[in-house]
Amino acid sequence: MPATDPTPAVTGDEGALAGTAAALRAAAGRWDSSAVFLLATVGYLVVYLATVGDLALFGSGGALTVRVADDLSRALTGLGFFRFGAIAVVTVGPVTYLLSPLNLLLALFLAGLVGANVALTYLGLIQPRACGLESSTGILAGLPALLSGAACCGPTILLVVGIQASATLVTGFQLLVPVAVAMLVASLLLVGRQVDPALL
Amino acid sequence: MKRPVTRRAVLGALGAASLAGCTELGTGGARVDGRPTTSGGTGGTSPPTVTDHLPLPMEPSSLRSEAVSGGPPKDGIPSIDDPSFISAGEASNWLDPGDPVFGLVTDGGAKAYPQSILVLHEICNDVVDGQPVSVTYCPLTGTAMGFERGETTFGVSGRLVNNNLIMYDRATETWWPQVLATAIPGPWNDSYTTRSLEEFRLVWTTWKRWSNRHPETEVLSRDTGFAKNYERDPYGSYNPRRGYYRPGSSPMFTSFSDDDRLEEKTVVIGTRTPEGAAAFEKDTLRAQGLVAGELGGEPILAVHDPALDTGYVYRNPEGRQFEHRDGQVVDASGTAHRPAALPLERTLAFDAMWFAWSGFYPETNLYASD
Repeated sequence: MPATDPTPAVTGDEGALAGTAAALRAAAGRWDSSAVFLLATVGYLVVYLATVGDLALFGSGGALTVRVADDLSRALTGLGFFRFGAIAVVTVGPVTYLLSPLNLLLALFLAGLVGANVALTYLGLIQPRACGLESSTGILAGLPALLSGAACCGPTILLVVGIQASATLVTGFQLLVPVAVAMLVASLLLVGRQVDPALL
Repeated sequence: MKRPVTRRAVLGALGAASLAGCTELGTGGARVDGRPTTSGGTGGTSPPTVTDHLPLPMEPSSLRSEAVSGGPPKDGIPSIDDPSFISAGEASNWLDPGDPVFGLVTDGGAKAYPQSILVLHEICNDVVDGQPVSVTYCPLTGTAMGFERGETTFGVSGRLVNNNLIMYDRATETWWPQVLATAIPGPWNDSYTTRSLEEFRLVWTTWKRWSNRHPETEVLSRDTGFAKNYERDPYGSYNPRRGYYRPGSSPMFTSFSDDDRLEEKTVVIGTRTPEGAAAFEKDTLRAQGLVAGELGGEPILAVHDPALDTGYVYRNPEGRQFEHRDGQVVDASGTAHRPAALPLERTLAFDAMWFAWSGFYPETNLYASD
């Protein structure tokens, strides 16, 4: 009977997952990387909500007001491009926020991924062994979702860059959020395996 | 609750409108351009239509194939189906004097529909003087148009043709491109018949001009029942004009038009009937006050209204002469008339971006200064 190795063999994918999980645990245990995570997450959350039109600085400058929609099922109504309806308008000072629960959930998910990428990139940079330029891909991976902000008819980003929309382009815009998620996850795995918690 | 429109009510409104001579909402034969109407269209609940349909730039089936998704799905842009109204004084708290509004005058009074609200809904299913109507606005073509809707309501299909809003009626799910105002086949109802909606005029003007003319006007309230930010126009601004509305900017999607006689976003006052189409550059009309033209081989006359900064178009078969004097239009006998009420038959006219107008009506006459 052949002797067995007490350490189970792991595939490359499992190694990346385990490495990333360990790196994330290490990041969560340090105040500096936790702060980086928080800053990046909140920053991305704000920028994402602004680009999809849920957050704006157009308020009247008054006290806190909340106006709730008559039909709360609008929260489940798709507005295209992974955008969903809002059920309340919250205004405080110059800030107007449209509360769309599904938009917020998606924004938190994306922002969490970006925050994790940035935190692990930070750890990769401060650990004694340099981990390479690919760490920065984690930040760039969040960009496609920021471009997905859509107006009533057509993607608003096209107005900014002056490109005329087409049916193909509009279809492509619907893929931006899934592409961003895939890129962020891939990037997280990539950077996670390059962080060695033992070196921190 | 929907209110039935009886023949008596229609005839009553017809008589009142004829006497008043200044209201925009016509019914059952009292249309502003005098075109005869049918009742009820092809189905009991489909919107009312007219006998002679308006011109189309191509076969209806081709229009369907030219339709593109703007992004949002059907009703992703929600129509306002239960509008409420506020006084002019209340509206002035959030409407800037230079903000655009779409005005409607009826025997029952005046109503203003702010562009800042309709840009996020595109359709307001309202009841005016007991008549069910839809006030519609397409931001990408700069067109505000009124339609009678009968017992049904209109919704936003999410599709565009020549950048223009394609509405659908909720009774038959037929597609109705807004500017064409004519049924085309669509994915939800292929068995269409070519027919055009009953339309009425909305006046595109500013809040200051409208409230000066109609101080007792009602104004569509921001309390639409939806959670929307009416401070934010996703396309740009008309006050001042920038973003998508800026002169020199391009349409969002490819347009039908290759007519470069004017810049794409130049505003024209367009009028079209089954006989043809004509457009008057708004700047030219503003500068000249009166501009003569031709529609389907017949003389027409465009008149500027300086108080509202809008234009009206009349059939002028006898070539009657008028003169603009102190905001009024004076005929050869010296009688003064308001620009909206010349003793001629008015055709339905409305503001539109030139690319949209020339794309839908490639044979249009154009009257513009060089």
